[in-house]
Amino acid sequence: MARPAVILVGADKGGVGKTTIARTLLDYFGAHNTPTRAFDTESPRGTLKRFHPGVTEVVDVTSIPDQMKIFDTLGSAEAKVTVIDVRAGLLSSTLQALSDIGFIESAKKGQITFAVFHILGPSIASLEEIAETARFVGDASYFLVKNHINDTSFFEWDPATYNSYFKQIKGAEEITIPKLNEMACEQVEVASVPYVSFVANKNGKGEPANFSFVLRGYVRHWLGQVWGEFDRVKLTDLVAPKIEKEKNVRQAAG
Amino acid sequence: MSFRSSVTIVASPRPRVGKTLLARLLIDFHVLEGRSVAAFDLNSGEGRLAQFFPERTTASAIGDIKGQMALFDRLIAADDTTKIVDLGHESFESFFKLAGQIGFAEEARRRGIAPAVLFVLTPDRTSVEAYRSLCERVPQATLAPVHNEILGPTQYRGKYDLIGGGAVVVRLPVLAPGLRKYIETPPFSFADSKLAAKLDVPIDINMELQRWLRRVFLEFRELDLRILLADLQSSIRL
Repeated sequence: MARPAVILVGADKGGVGKTTIARTLLDYFGAHNTPTRAFDTESPRGTLKRFHPGVTEVVDVTSIPDQMKIFDTLGSAEAKVTVIDVRAGLLSSTLQALSDIGFIESAKKGQITFAVFHILGPSIASLEEIAETARFVGDASYFLVKNHINDTSFFEWDPATYNSYFKQIKGAEEITIPKLNEMACEQVEVASVPYVSFVANKNGKGEPANFSFVLRGYVRHWLGQVWGEFDRVKLTDLVAPKIEKEKNVRQAAG
Repeated sequence: MSFRSSVTIVASPRPRVGKTLLARLLIDFHVLEGRSVAAFDLNSGEGRLAQFFPERTTASAIGDIKGQMALFDRLIAADDTTKIVDLGHESFESFFKLAGQIGFAEEARRRGIAPAVLFVLTPDRTSVEAYRSLCERVPQATLAPVHNEILGPTQYRGKYDLIGGGAVVVRLPVLAPGLRKYIETPPFSFADSKLAAKLDVPIDINMELQRWLRRVFLEFRELDLRILLADLQSSIRL
């Protein structure tokens, strides 16, 4: 049996698209038939919960009862993958808390698979945070995600500075999330459904919807690229070694 | 089961190879077959198709997403309408790139709409490359190469690798030179023989025209059967 996996999705500032990434992850594991649960730390609003109400719970990751809810159930929960959408600015403190409760230690021992998705904003400020988080992560799989979903321009980073930070984390991998057409993006927000449902033209209850074919096509193409990135970094190997990989977005969408 | 409707895209990356004439002939062919027909003109400029079919033609542009939605969402709408797209050469690349990305032909098939591309063969490299790229980009569409004989006899031999369902070339025979001025002046309709009389087309010219049309429509009827066959094959496979 695969050991439980925890994926932390975080950033140091808001508005860089953490929830977007968490949503694509939930869709991705859904498509791979991997039971997944999610925790949304943006209490009390919970953007992630709006899109994936069935699997998402809103928690306060700094409170001990909620920490118990998440981490004490890792072995017993039906879901093999736990995705935690960490609120802006809480990434370092969450990692600190995880370190305090010995979670990072058990990840090191290989009892738990631990991965961090660090979403980078388009400014240099968030790079400085990498230095701060680097000391906690140890053996976790660390992914630096360049999120271009809402971008109008390219990242304006000095490559030398970027690389000096990037190298601080051993084995860190880069993931690039491409841009998605604004109108397509907006329509999925309005619809409040998972990306896969939008592609499959279904509403939140799984009933046939009436989304624009062109917009669905854009989302499908984009999601395919995002999943391609997840495939490239062998995300499924990380959470469960024996998963059928022949699925693509279309099959997932049904 | 016959297909409920089809979407035919008349395309070539080259200008002035007879796309609009083909589109006009197709529209009138389907009208004569008793189908409801809508046309979409992606040529920038004078709106040639609209001059002949002011009521059926929608001027389309796919430069922005609104235009893309207006066109593609309409093309795959299940409204029992046969749709003809006159794809201007400048939109060729962007149209098929987008169509491939958003899965246009697959979606059409899923909705019982048969997608087809009429590709006018010319011997240049751009066209040969474009034809090959179509096979990859929209494999679910019936690809029908067209030989417009007015362009000369050596348009494709030895240059195109005509494979699969597109192996049969649709021939557009040469129209006698004296007739062209009649059909190129709007209003004119291949479907309305009374119009010819009204426009004072001499009887011998009109007979020649009808003879030509019969040959063209025979080619189209065969093409229609091939599209139908492809549609059946794909529904068996699904």
